Amino acid sequence: MTLPRIGSAIRVSARNRQPRADDPIVSPAQTISSMTSKICAPPLQPNWPLWWKLSLATALLFVLILAVAIGWLFYAGVGVWGIDWPVVWGFAIINYVWWIAIASGGTFISALFYLAEVEWRGALNRIAETITIFAAACAAIYPILHLGRPWLFYWLFSYPNVMGLWPQFRSPLLWDFVAILTYVISSILFWYFGLLPDLATMRDKADAPQKRRFYGALALGFRGSDNAWRYYIAGYGLLAAVMAPLVISVHSIVGLDFAGAATLGWHSTEFPPFFVFGALLSGFATVTLVAIPARRLLGLDDFITGRHFDILGKLLLTSSLCVGYAYLMEAFTIFYGPDAAEKRLFTDKLAGELAPVYWATILFNVLAPQLMWRRSVRLNETLVVLISFLVIVGMWCERYVIVVMSLRRTHLPSAWGEYTPTIWDWLTLFGTCGLFIAGLLIAIRLLPTVSMFEMRDVILRNARRNR
Amino acid sequence: MPQVKPQWRSLAELAQDAQFLSRAEQEFPGLGVALTAPRDRREALTLMTAALALAGAGLGGCNGAPEGHLIPAVQQPPGVVPGVPDYYSSAHIDGGYAEGTVIKHFMGRPIKVEGNPFHPASLGATSPMAQAELLNFYDPRRSWGVTRAKLPRSRPALEQALADQRARLASTRGAGFVILTGASTSPTLAAQLEALRKSYPLIRWLHWEPIERENVKNAFALAYGARLAFLPLIQNADVILAIDSDLLSAAPGHLSFARDFAARRNPTRAKMNRLYAIEATPSLTGAAADERFIAGPRETHKILLALASALLGAPPAEGPPWLDRIVADLKANRGRCFIHLGPDHSPEAHALVLAMNEALGGRGAVYALVDEPTHFSSDDALSLATLVADMRAGRVNSLLIIDSNPVYAAPGALDFAEALSQVEFSLCLSATPSETSEASLWAVPMIHLWEGWSDARAFDGTASVMQPQALPLYQGVGPHDLLGLLLGPDAPKARDLVRQTWKDQLGAADAWTDALAVGVIPGAASSISNRPLSGAAARVRLPEPPKARIVLLFRPDPYLHDGRYADNPWLQELPRPLTRMSWGNPLQISPRRARELSLEHGDVVRIAIDGAHTTTPIIVAPGQSDDCIVALLGFGRRHAGPVGRNVGVDFFKLAGRSCAAPDIQKTGAKEELASAQHHAAIFDEWGVYARNGTLAQFHSDPDFVRRGDEPRPALYDWKPEGPAAWGMSIDLNACIGCGACVVACQAENNIPVVGKAEVLREREMQWLRIDRYYDGPPETPKTSFQPVLCMHCEEAPCEPVCPVGATMHDSEGLNVMVYNRCVGTRFCSNNCPYKVRRFNYFDFSGEERRAIESRNPEVTVRARGVMEKCTFCLQRIAAARIIADRDGEKAATVTTACEAACPTRAFTFGDLAAKGSEVAARRAGPLSYALLANQNTKPRVTYEARILNVDETKETGK
Repeated sequence: MTLPRIGSAIRVSARNRQPRADDPIVSPAQTISSMTSKICAPPLQPNWPLWWKLSLATALLFVLILAVAIGWLFYAGVGVWGIDWPVVWGFAIINYVWWIAIASGGTFISALFYLAEVEWRGALNRIAETITIFAAACAAIYPILHLGRPWLFYWLFSYPNVMGLWPQFRSPLLWDFVAILTYVISSILFWYFGLLPDLATMRDKADAPQKRRFYGALALGFRGSDNAWRYYIAGYGLLAAVMAPLVISVHSIVGLDFAGAATLGWHSTEFPPFFVFGALLSGFATVTLVAIPARRLLGLDDFITGRHFDILGKLLLTSSLCVGYAYLMEAFTIFYGPDAAEKRLFTDKLAGELAPVYWATILFNVLAPQLMWRRSVRLNETLVVLISFLVIVGMWCERYVIVVMSLRRTHLPSAWGEYTPTIWDWLTLFGTCGLFIAGLLIAIRLLPTVSMFEMRDVILRNARRNR
Repeated sequence: MPQVKPQWRSLAELAQDAQFLSRAEQEFPGLGVALTAPRDRREALTLMTAALALAGAGLGGCNGAPEGHLIPAVQQPPGVVPGVPDYYSSAHIDGGYAEGTVIKHFMGRPIKVEGNPFHPASLGATSPMAQAELLNFYDPRRSWGVTRAKLPRSRPALEQALADQRARLASTRGAGFVILTGASTSPTLAAQLEALRKSYPLIRWLHWEPIERENVKNAFALAYGARLAFLPLIQNADVILAIDSDLLSAAPGHLSFARDFAARRNPTRAKMNRLYAIEATPSLTGAAADERFIAGPRETHKILLALASALLGAPPAEGPPWLDRIVADLKANRGRCFIHLGPDHSPEAHALVLAMNEALGGRGAVYALVDEPTHFSSDDALSLATLVADMRAGRVNSLLIIDSNPVYAAPGALDFAEALSQVEFSLCLSATPSETSEASLWAVPMIHLWEGWSDARAFDGTASVMQPQALPLYQGVGPHDLLGLLLGPDAPKARDLVRQTWKDQLGAADAWTDALAVGVIPGAASSISNRPLSGAAARVRLPEPPKARIVLLFRPDPYLHDGRYADNPWLQELPRPLTRMSWGNPLQISPRRARELSLEHGDVVRIAIDGAHTTTPIIVAPGQSDDCIVALLGFGRRHAGPVGRNVGVDFFKLAGRSCAAPDIQKTGAKEELASAQHHAAIFDEWGVYARNGTLAQFHSDPDFVRRGDEPRPALYDWKPEGPAAWGMSIDLNACIGCGACVVACQAENNIPVVGKAEVLREREMQWLRIDRYYDGPPETPKTSFQPVLCMHCEEAPCEPVCPVGATMHDSEGLNVMVYNRCVGTRFCSNNCPYKVRRFNYFDFSGEERRAIESRNPEVTVRARGVMEKCTFCLQRIAAARIIADRDGEKAATVTTACEAACPTRAFTFGDLAAKGSEVAARRAGPLSYALLANQNTKPRVTYEARILNVDETKETGK
């Protein structure tokens, strides 16, 4: 079979259409073979255009900055960051929670919606899973970086030792450690397992021998026989069933990192579900933020259609409403309850020196997504990208409010303090962003961006319906 | 027999001594080459001087046995027992007055200063400066060698110069020779000076302190015609009126005054006294007062006149309306009250107050007059101003400056540095290089107080002998040695001189050793004077108050004093009690004045007075009079070590000028103030945390303190099973906020100093902090102090959240921190509601410039990335346990470092499980409460609420 002409698949062409309200789930012009050709072409292409090279170069520059920042941190000590007394947790924890929330949202689409057997998932789940693993990687480095003695991080693991010491199981940080470890390992497995049939397709479609060998090695000998498929689907379903509750549990445990503390503003039972809502919101926003440019740049407008825009918009809106509900309940429980110190802290959030950050959170997370009630907004690429970006920034601000504002206004006024991030805090944050983007860029370079074996089902079902 | 040690020899001799050379070459490999190469002579000289220092201290000193016997205070061991500390008595000299101390030695190294319970000026307590003296002893910047015109010189050269001075003294009979030293109570020094005057009748000496108490001393000449001192017997006083007073903070004897004062502040244990404070700027005495009134210099003048009219029958004068109440209270308590005036007032004002005290009938009952322990200068007309005039006129050709820093600390108007350049021969004896040693011809290293023999008197005249705690570390010369060399080439040793001084009292066989063991010479205290008040005292005319709208007042920094401790990192970093400032001395301005000048915290202003000017940041001082601006002295030193150099602003430059109003201009710049208080002060919070009430409230409802605390149910109540149950009770009635406990804790537990940059980033490491709370409007707030340390909660929130289990509970109720297990997640600090945990963000201990020997070997030095906090001095508990195990008896009482240092006995630490223990009794008392009780942490540290002895019932919320 012939490959499409070099360049056309990945050039931003005028052919790319604006999403429309009446778009089907997949363009009827696509057949299974055209879809396969379309999706296989970019990774097999020898040369990618300038935009990719430049972006990768910039992202790798930030990865280098991250490496320098981490090296300096290990050498000089955790004091190079802006943390102090009493704000002993700063950007490291904010960024950690922010990244893991982004990762969790991706899993929601790829695992939970798989179990819900929705059709639209097929086009997005590869992107979602890739986001998950790179975001989880970015998140996982932070708990090690923020330690005072990071070379001893393995003490959180219950390994056999001559001291006979177990880690402290009452500590939410330990649950966190276990949860993140589980999550990272499972996400990588799930992602890889989901890639297997597509890697096999790539192996079959590859022209150059070394590419065939590369994909062949990764495909682990998947031949696409009936038996193979039967076991494969069963395995995939099992993995999805394992991953789906992880969405809820991982971020609940991250929420317990805070709720399990006696700190003002954290000690609330609403934190686990609140964090899960936040994870959903971040995740959907990030998937949207990545999928829309990918759709343009890789010419995926036949597969990511107006329906997807509509659905993603509605998901964003729903999770934003959930998050808004959580904010309201936080305010309600504080003012309904007896604790004067909690009220004082909340009033400081609303009207104190850092109040702009709190109101930015409300604006970006709750108010901006309300525009999604209008279908025209949901189908407007620019607006959707903008709102998603604002949501991501807003979620970061929310973590800032949670971590920094609770710690700086503690029970005893004599122990109040301030927090000023240093250049190393910012460089580490942007470095991880660079790591994430570099990972994504490499992933779309080497791997199919859309899950081909699932798209086949979607195309067949649609064709049957349209007949 | 030469005075200087036998190891000292001439350089030429040493250059030929093969044995010395071989040993010195190991230290200075280039020495041998340099000595043979004549063009490197200067370098060789420098090397030789350093080598000589080593020769004396290390190489040659190995065979030097201590001179005579050093008598330990408590034990009489046959030798030093490894692992067991020894204690030797000494004293801390503050403004010339002695405060007895006991130095703890470990394997021959002094490592901790404790108070001397037998000394009346200490009673077991110390001031923060006495605690920090340890770092002065180990200061790496102490002078090593003699220099002349900044070039190193040998000891024989110094001796030769002194011999020349002797010859000149003999020929001129002492004319043109002046000795400048600080205030001194040392009878030995006085005897030496008298002996000098006998040999050279025209010799002069000046006892000068930058922070003068001369007004107080001169007042006695006015009022009694003799040099006396005021000795309050506070335990008998029912009412005290303190005007601009430093009774509890810096007056000679303040440690014992604070003790007696605090002993009557807790209504559950004693009948409360009452303290009224009238002051221009906030002070510890004002913070401790039941009622505090603000009065600037002009108002205080009126108040003194009004008091005189009310108590002495002087012509009628109007005072402020609240003064009548105070006068009525004083009159109602005749014979049981006294008035105390601060040292900044004129001698006439002091004479008036002395007359008032006599009129109130307190003499003998509530105060006594004793002979002033500090010594006179050679003649009454000699003051620093006249000395500087003489120096300028060329009438001084030799000036000996002993342990004083006039180039820095003399009032700027006098320009001492310029006058010093007119003196032909100037010799500065100083322990560390200073501004004066840089400006003098000869700079001679002085031994530290702990390295030689001397004696001193306390505020009440009690004498003690100070014995050396160590051989001189850095080849210094003692003041007694130097003065002895002025009399003859073979000066007697200091020890012999001191023994000679006290041969009458301590001539008997064991008397000398007993005096050294106890730290006090029995029967040598000043006698009480019966001199009558002169009639003129009541009629003395007060000088006119300054006319200016705003007056610039100078106050010594509470910890750096006159700048002598500027190089002491503990004292630089110790947060000042009222402003919580460290590493700096912003100008203190009252809230209203600051608003008028539109100034905020940290704004930099240019202040000019009489042509002298300087730029300084400002701090808003709640409770300060609007009529004055207060500058703290002791900062801005140019020639201090790396710790003290250029820290803060030098206000001595502006001192000594007229009383005109200073001119203040905003410069628009802003400076960050390194304060331990990291947010703007709040003015309505003290009742919640530092609980308080009035005496009337307490009498009507003794349990009012704990009324709002409901007992909380617990799901699982785990009681530690150990034999002891350690707990602590802190009496807020007693805490005056002096900060001695903080430095004592820092010394005992090897707590690092982090420096100004890190304090600005809010990373100070002190385990114990003294919170300061305000109540009321910013112009006239009430102040309260609350020491906060690890509460060792029974339900410690820090314990369950550590993922590696680095903090846990031991069987005796202590929350112990396992440094080696800590990975530094810092969750424990988040969970601590009291925020008592401190984190090592950098390798603070490793980066400290500190002699390794000076650390306490019983306490781990923490690495980077590890959390630390108060341990209830676990090393002391362990030591007591070891003694109990070894001797098979119940352990002696354990005293934590903070408890030992506190002058007012605010801390009570002990075993709650022991029958009749003091701490259990205090915990059970009606005033006892737990901080943040609603967090249900069940802390082992409780507080006793502060009761104010005010007439009306004040409603203070909780």
